[in-house]
Amino acid sequence: MADLQVLHHIDELQLRYIRALDLRDMEAWTACFTADTEGYRCVSRENHEQGLPVAMMLDDNPGRILDRAKFVQDVWKGTFEDYATRHFVQRLSCRALDDGAFEVHSNVLVTYTTQGGGSEVLVAGAYVDEVVARDGGYGFRRKDAILDTTTPARYLVYPV
Amino acid sequence: MMNENPVALAWPEKGNEVPKAVFQREDIYRLELERIFHGAEWHPVAHVCELAQPGDYKTMDVGEVPVLIVRGQDGEVRVFVNACPHRGTQLKTEARGRAKMIECPYHRWTFNPQGKLMGAPGLQDFPASFQKDDYGLRQVRSAIVHGLVFATLSDETPDIDTYLGVSAGTIGRVFGGEGELCLLGYQKVKFNTNWKEYSDNEGYHAPLLHGAFRLLQWQGGKGEILATDRAHKVTSAQLNHAPDNGYLNDYSLIEKFDKNQPPESIVVTLFPVTIVIRHLDTISVRYAIPRSPHQTEVHYAYFARADDSEALQRHRVRQASNLLGPSGLITLEDGAVFNRLHAGSRSPGEVEFQRGVTDDYHYPRQLQQNDEAGNLVRWEHYRQTMGFERG
Repeated sequence: MADLQVLHHIDELQLRYIRALDLRDMEAWTACFTADTEGYRCVSRENHEQGLPVAMMLDDNPGRILDRAKFVQDVWKGTFEDYATRHFVQRLSCRALDDGAFEVHSNVLVTYTTQGGGSEVLVAGAYVDEVVARDGGYGFRRKDAILDTTTPARYLVYPV
Repeated sequence: MMNENPVALAWPEKGNEVPKAVFQREDIYRLELERIFHGAEWHPVAHVCELAQPGDYKTMDVGEVPVLIVRGQDGEVRVFVNACPHRGTQLKTEARGRAKMIECPYHRWTFNPQGKLMGAPGLQDFPASFQKDDYGLRQVRSAIVHGLVFATLSDETPDIDTYLGVSAGTIGRVFGGEGELCLLGYQKVKFNTNWKEYSDNEGYHAPLLHGAFRLLQWQGGKGEILATDRAHKVTSAQLNHAPDNGYLNDYSLIEKFDKNQPPESIVVTLFPVTIVIRHLDTISVRYAIPRSPHQTEVHYAYFARADDSEALQRHRVRQASNLLGPSGLITLEDGAVFNRLHAGSRSPGEVEFQRGVTDDYHYPRQLQQNDEAGNLVRWEHYRQTMGFERG
């Protein structure tokens, strides 16, 4: 287990991440990743466990993370039915890797609220993250959102 | 008369109008299950590469009937009702798996992957007339075309070649001709829409919806639509090369990687609800399952060619994930429209088709790429199957 100071930084990063998504602030979302990130992946547990590589979202380089922010803010603007999320995240484990990064496992539950005001569970799942200290802060070198919810109740516009 | 109708619905006289009630009414939905999903139509349920090894199985629903698709030890792919022939217990619960034997949990009847009943505990206490051979898994009529497994619950469905017509050849073109495919994975999503709003608008429509085409200065090329006798629709279009105008940080998202084919979009919209599509480098079958008049579940299955280079396969995965799935750059906007059409169809009246309609009372079979009229052949088949009278 990492020391308390490090855990504090990691938790802060995770909270910054979910706050960005709940505020639908895509710039703040991209800022949670390191400049040389290996990226973000949102994948069903079904595919993940069967070794099937197709994902719901596969942003496997920094450019694709920036592009996702553009899709949401720019390309799809005015088309999709908007919804607001609440992400609830709980760290389960944190382990130091040999290269100084930390592998962090968390549970995540996301509710969504439609424009009509009804709320339901959007997805349940887990984060498997690699966190590194860079440029005086902490960022995701890699973030996998693995969804237990194989068939979400609606199409996902925002990352999880 | 077969089509005598227990459900009353006044159908407009004009060929390009469809009453919105068909997207909403529960009684119409029940009749659709009976006449279409459980009726004389073929429904794709799997591609053989989803069941690569003997004992591999997949569960699906045909309408409301659960089916189990299994590759036998003899290599053959069969479709069974996913219920024990004894007391009707559901046999397999997971989406996919592999098993040497299929065992019912209730009374431990076991079946081999060819569906034969191999053992039933307490057999000595069964009636003397009980024959094990009579209690194999209930097989569903099936056919395989270019690796795509079709099932039908009706004995009256025409043979698969008659049924598919020219769309069979196009399915082969989508899959890239001879040679095997391999499974890359699934995306699954529920849309708050009626299955007909989904199939009416999926894989076909004016490019106006898509912000991406405008931002990427991506103009469509030449294309055409052909409707078959059984109301399947084949749409093919050349895709113009989208210039790298700097909008995307990762241009590979919309790149044509496989130089053995031209950049094109080939879409087979099979009646009632399945889409078989190749767009740029993605090869996909979109299985759709109606869940209610108001909800449609779609399983996007993606494939690579078995002889792809590692780089091409990787490209297909990246394009499938970020371009053409439910959260893809292009396709997300389709999902938004499915849901909004359904919310809008609660209003009274008819939906209308305009572009490509040359005559109010006839249905053109050969059309331009973005013509709406291509769907009217489907609607006419639907109307007749459902037994709704015009006028």
